[in-house]
Amino acid sequence: MEMVFIAAAIIIGMGALATGIGFGILGGKLLEATARQPEMANQLQVKTFIMAGLLDAVPMIGVGIAMYLIFVVAG
Amino acid sequence: MKSRQSRITHVPLARWLIIEFTGLFIISLLWSLHSVLAGYSAFIGGLIFIVPNAWFVNRVYRYQGARNAHLMVGNLFRAETTKIALTAIFFAAVFTLMEPVYVPALLFTFAVMVLAGGALRWLIRPQPRR
Repeated sequence: MEMVFIAAAIIIGMGALATGIGFGILGGKLLEATARQPEMANQLQVKTFIMAGLLDAVPMIGVGIAMYLIFVVAG
Repeated sequence: MKSRQSRITHVPLARWLIIEFTGLFIISLLWSLHSVLAGYSAFIGGLIFIVPNAWFVNRVYRYQGARNAHLMVGNLFRAETTKIALTAIFFAAVFTLMEPVYVPALLFTFAVMVLAGGALRWLIRPQPRR
């Protein structure tokens, strides 16, 4: 039973770590690029938004599977 | 003031929601051929994606323009955190409060909606107005 919780913790933790790194790089690059070319700010925001949607796809599915493990398999 | 307003990006949130709900209804109907339980489980799986994602879009586009870049990035991080937290809460609520749930339909529809949502934002992009 404990292994299920450990598996869920690893899924959520790794997903959070990867999303955090990805969003940190994404936000940093957005600020950097906006500082270089302020007139491109709106287009850069659109591209950041699209990349954010792609970036969080896998962690979102991971959260769903982890909740299933915690509340259905272990519960 | 006028030139500032004309640079605001138009976010096609209504179009996205209409397409997402149409896709969700089709997937739910297909699952309901299996059973009614699978049909409504699939519908709930789609809603678990759509509601936090609509919140995310609403928060991300609260600030625009180069002057507000730091607010934009801060909002992006907060919106993403809230989105993942809302998704986890909704999943936990469904698994604990809804007694008969067909889990394969729920998770499959959620995964399809997540992937389709990313593709939809790629295909129908917000248009920066000049």
